[in-house]
Amino acid sequence: MNPAAEGTTYPAVPFTVEPSRVAAFRTLFGISEGVPPTFVTAAEFAAFPQVLADRHLDLDFSRVVHGSQGYAFRRPLREGEELAVRARIESIRIRGGNGFVTIAMDLEDAEGVVVCTARSQMIERATGA
Amino acid sequence: MRTLATVSVGDELPELARVVSREDVKAYADAGGDQNPLHQDDAFARSLGFPGIIAHGMFTMGHMASAIVAWAGDSAAVVALSAQFRAPVFIGETIVAGGRVRSIEDRPAIAVLETWVRVERDGSTEWPVKKGEARVRLA
Repeated sequence: MNPAAEGTTYPAVPFTVEPSRVAAFRTLFGISEGVPPTFVTAAEFAAFPQVLADRHLDLDFSRVVHGSQGYAFRRPLREGEELAVRARIESIRIRGGNGFVTIAMDLEDAEGVVVCTARSQMIERATGA
Repeated sequence: MRTLATVSVGDELPELARVVSREDVKAYADAGGDQNPLHQDDAFARSLGFPGIIAHGMFTMGHMASAIVAWAGDSAAVVALSAQFRAPVFIGETIVAGGRVRSIEDRPAIAVLETWVRVERDGSTEWPVKKGEARVRLA
């Protein structure tokens, strides 16, 4: 992973809050109604491929474990709505051969309102760990 | 939705337990879009130093969110949620989510929860999520 990639921003990726996928989340987690809060990570994974494909960042997903995760909502997601997911590399730290990257993603609705900001800290484990 | 008048600092969330199965972890991979082989391929997981596949951190956090939503009474009441993943969770283990009310804010009415997920392993308690936090809107 390349610390110089801190601050990189990526083009918006479209994401639909598919009712069938929301229903799968509800079933899996035993939630009876609404969009489960952690469904936002399905949107993060829509934008993640371009982060992984970023040769400048050079993140090896096969060695990645999830360090922490957070969400801040302006409003709940709505089933069926179209969102734009904008990713940015908020910080990169290297400690003891492990790389710690915080990826922030804004989920924007059709009016351009950021309905949720998600932050994922990913840890790229040192090889041979 | 839960009302401000019914909530006190120190209130405990009812604990929520579930056994982690390989089928559930695969279902999370499909619904959440995270197909990392660390969560599906034992040989691959062993190459990274794990004894076998581990659940997604987001599987554990999704379970934690279930306990919070059950207490809040509404998915839409959760206005913020965070967790630090501290320990892996293996197939067949029982994860237990819990929490308590740390503080209460008014205007708008919000309960701030500290939350966690624990697992009993080899006679001691491990903390897949030791420091979780949620902000829940109250009516």
